[in-house]
Amino acid sequence: MMLQIKPILAALKRHKAGTILIALQIALTLAIVCNALFIIHERLDRISRPTGLDEGNLMAIGNRYVGADDKDTAAMMRGDLVALRQLPGVADAVSINSYPLRGGGWSTGVRVGAEDKKPKAHTTLYFSDEHTLPTMGTHLIAGRNFQADEIGEADPKEVGDPAVVIVSKALADKLFTDGHALGKPIYIGDTKKPSTIIGIVERLEVPWNGSWSDTFYENSIIEPVRLSGNYTNFLVRSKPGQLEALMKSAPAALYQANRMRVIPPERGVRTFAAVREHAYKADRGMAILMGVVCLVLLAITAAGIVGLTSFWVGQRRKQIGVRRALGATRRDILSYFLTENLLIGIGGVVVGAALAMGMNLWLVTQFEMARLSLMYVLAGVLALLLLGQGAVLAPAMRASRVSPVEATRSV
Amino acid sequence: MLKMTHLSKVYRTEVVETYALRDFNINVSEGEFVAVTGPSGSGKTTFLTIAGLLETFTGGQYHLDGVEVSNLNDNERSRIRNEKIGFIFQAFNLIPDLNVFDNVEVPLRYRGMKAPERKERIMNALERVGLASRSKHYPAELSGGQQQRVAIARALAGSPRLLLADEPTGNLDTQMARGVMELLEEIHREGATIVMVTHDPELAARAQRNVHIIDGQVVDLAEDPRFHQAVHAARANSPA
Repeated sequence: MMLQIKPILAALKRHKAGTILIALQIALTLAIVCNALFIIHERLDRISRPTGLDEGNLMAIGNRYVGADDKDTAAMMRGDLVALRQLPGVADAVSINSYPLRGGGWSTGVRVGAEDKKPKAHTTLYFSDEHTLPTMGTHLIAGRNFQADEIGEADPKEVGDPAVVIVSKALADKLFTDGHALGKPIYIGDTKKPSTIIGIVERLEVPWNGSWSDTFYENSIIEPVRLSGNYTNFLVRSKPGQLEALMKSAPAALYQANRMRVIPPERGVRTFAAVREHAYKADRGMAILMGVVCLVLLAITAAGIVGLTSFWVGQRRKQIGVRRALGATRRDILSYFLTENLLIGIGGVVVGAALAMGMNLWLVTQFEMARLSLMYVLAGVLALLLLGQGAVLAPAMRASRVSPVEATRSV
Repeated sequence: MLKMTHLSKVYRTEVVETYALRDFNINVSEGEFVAVTGPSGSGKTTFLTIAGLLETFTGGQYHLDGVEVSNLNDNERSRIRNEKIGFIFQAFNLIPDLNVFDNVEVPLRYRGMKAPERKERIMNALERVGLASRSKHYPAELSGGQQQRVAIARALAGSPRLLLADEPTGNLDTQMARGVMELLEEIHREGATIVMVTHDPELAARAQRNVHIIDGQVVDLAEDPRFHQAVHAARANSPA
């Protein structure tokens, strides 16, 4: 193969237009495919993030009380929870301001010192009671759960600073890098009043799944407070195999307890699988779109290579015959076209790698995307070179079958 | 050097068999300069392509430099073409994308020869045809005669045992044709075996031996009844 490089380069110089066009096509494809694959990987990574919940046995109910004063909703909520927990097939149930993947919730900064000016971490806040951990199925890895007498009730507009909190491990590690968060005070928001960490859960994702929350997606605090107000979410954990039945019996039990409520027909009662499906619909769509763009681009590039090589084989039929007459074997001819494509491909991927990095830099500055890993560029380079070799194989094989007697034929 | 015995070449289609060569016999000794003549369609070019291992034959035997070639595979045939045969084509068949030096280098690269030896052979061959100063020129920048000289240099660079020339002056004007013919004669005088297919009786007369092909067979014109019939007919038709 090496034996032919110099004359091939010499020949390519005489066919600049076709060579440059194909090299540019390879370069653009590499640049776009690398970034698209990176976006796909990011989205798939996000989609596969565990929430820390027992998702297979969980359902969520969005509930709005109507015709009731805010001061009465706390009692109504307590009644609803009693009704839900008594249902056959219910392992536990809780009323909570939000939950992972819901799409909306509370967030704030957390400090480790009362006088600290800047928060050390950003976090979401879940407000609920001692049933939260058993309902979510979240694993407590240190400390303890809330006790019933620690649970307070508050209007959402007047939430105070709790004496105790449970935090996710990710947040604990971020706040206390020495790994000793349990029993330590933290300061939530702007307060000077400490909240002591009494428990650490293994994992608890925030309610958002967009790129803006990527930096703190596992930073969560559970405060022992039931929020009153006319809107709440019920999380219900079923006993194994009972979820389907609960999807009907749980809202029925709520209506039976009190008809003064609205549970929206769509997205009002959902399994957690449906919550996840909805939350990642856009990410999945983007991943599929990017995948299709990649496939189309790769197919167009492969078709371009097949087309140009087929044209060159047809154009050089006599020349191939002459080479065969002068002693080239079929393998020499095959190798000639493979090498020619490889040289064009190398030119293309060198430019393409630079373009891919440049395009990523632009995406980083314009859309807050992460920096493209070099591995993607290397994988893309390899894929494009292999694609080129694969695409050129059929026309190159056809060229290798040209008979040496072509040399004696007039055009 | 080149010996064909009862050789035949048949082109078959679904409905017809066409004999391009039939019971074809020829023996060319080492160092000979043989001109092969014959009318169009007589089988001259078929003979040359089989002699040069560019295509296979249907029956009979062909010994080239003592080797029976009918059972050789494609790679072995390529190797023999590369090492033992030099081709000179009517249309020169230079590769337009390569300069003169690179064109002459083509068969040497396929032989796997090292660069310094290739360079030495190329420059010697180009000097021999008087084109050493044009080594960086492209074929399109040369005259027809010069292009054919480059083709001869390409054929000579590999030191072949046999030179096969297919109408080597067919695309040249008289002056250029004369120059190319003189070059071939000079190469022959230096010991090369040359088989040249030509239409031109004047060129054929300059070869050591003439072989005439009619209807795919070698004929001795003196013993060919068709020749005498043609002469008789010509005389009968001529005015007294």
